[in-house]
Amino acid sequence: MSLTAGRMAATDYAMPSAEPLPDSPAALIARIAQRDREAFSRFYDAFAGLALGLIRRILRDPAAAEEVLQEVFWQVWQEAGRYDPKRGSPEAWLVMRAKTRAIDKLRAIRRREKTFVAPVDESVTRSDEATGENPGVAAEARGLVRSALDSLPEAQRRVVELAFFDGLTQSEIARKLGEPLGTIKTRARLGLERLRAVMRREGQGAR
Amino acid sequence: MNRDEIHELAAGYALGTLDLEDRERFEVLLDARDAEAETALREFQSTMTDLAAEASVAPSPGVKAALMARIDAEGRARDAVVRTLETKRPARARWPIWSTVLTGAMAAGIAAIAVGLAVSTAYDRRLAQLQQEAAAIKEELNRQQAIMTLLQDPATRFVSLDALEPAGGATARMVWHKTTGGLLVVQGMPPTPAGKAYELWAIPPGGSPIPAGVFTVDAKGTASLRVSPVAAGTEVETFAVTLEPASGVPAPTGAMYLAGKL
Repeated sequence: MSLTAGRMAATDYAMPSAEPLPDSPAALIARIAQRDREAFSRFYDAFAGLALGLIRRILRDPAAAEEVLQEVFWQVWQEAGRYDPKRGSPEAWLVMRAKTRAIDKLRAIRRREKTFVAPVDESVTRSDEATGENPGVAAEARGLVRSALDSLPEAQRRVVELAFFDGLTQSEIARKLGEPLGTIKTRARLGLERLRAVMRREGQGAR
Repeated sequence: MNRDEIHELAAGYALGTLDLEDRERFEVLLDARDAEAETALREFQSTMTDLAAEASVAPSPGVKAALMARIDAEGRARDAVVRTLETKRPARARWPIWSTVLTGAMAAGIAAIAVGLAVSTAYDRRLAQLQQEAAAIKEELNRQQAIMTLLQDPATRFVSLDALEPAGGATARMVWHKTTGGLLVVQGMPPTPAGKAYELWAIPPGGSPIPAGVFTVDAKGTASLRVSPVAAGTEVETFAVTLEPASGVPAPTGAMYLAGKL
């Protein structure tokens, strides 16, 4: 399932100007914008797992994560008409929404639990800790993500993680790490380029 | 912009980490269908989605069931309100007059927008944006002054609009003055779908709804709308808000979200 979603991402978006295939994510989004319940159901089946994986990675609380997942897909239903193919693939659009919502929720939880203060280092490395919930089920998949991220040089990995899992902007990361903004921008690029190479290699190995 | 710079923007965009200014710079490239930018974004985005896909977790079935139920409930609510609105329309025959007048005005408006779009380019956009901001500030000042005047007048009325089912927990208030018009303030409205806008109606007792302006809501679901007075001699009994095509329509067609009596 996970690799299928990944492949759909790459193949579908490879032809942004072509007429979307009837069952492509882009076609499903267009139908959802027309309030097509069936299309929504299929889009959910294809990508809910993808979104939930990311939300769980950010939030760590399974119940809160499913709550956020529901909000994210409700947004998809309400706002599919706003999806703009020029700005990227439907999956990336979904992932961005999932990320934003999860981080909003995380910040709300932290505000509520005033005593909780996560130092940068702790929040960066927290994914290394065993989480207790759902042991083993997604461990192998998580291991792959972990090893892809771990293959990055430390400095690049911190930038990617602070950006993606903590929702900081590049300026915020620069301030937090006490590095020039230009350095952070370059590290984000190098980090993603390297991740892409690693994912490709692993993808070929797995297929 | 050189290749590395474009790739840096693309990486930041895919990570969702760009500051506003950089995001706008990159979106200008995307809107201009810059091949380097599109390719880089596609690759970085698929890296991010592949990375997320590796950690996929199957949600419990309850999440989908709840969503589908919510969608069905929304559909039923919309049908019900449309039916309610249909039965509440006593003087259908008068609407074509409105629609003739307003269709003309709308056609002129649409033509103006089309000409505007044709002459603007990606590089004009920034300038246009600054002008818009300046105009918005002026407009805001005028609006504030109008509000002060309105609030000081003893003939000013305050109306609370009730949220109907599609509006969820929205709240809305209208400050209304027969001769100077009024101000509608809404909070907690659902996001405005693309191509749609909320439209306010001033409804005379036993008469057809009079269009009183269209508005969209911000990310928090809030908006305020300055409302012009209706024609002299026309009494207004009810205010209502429906969801309509973005350019507004001469007579209500969409679901009713808010309603309140003076």
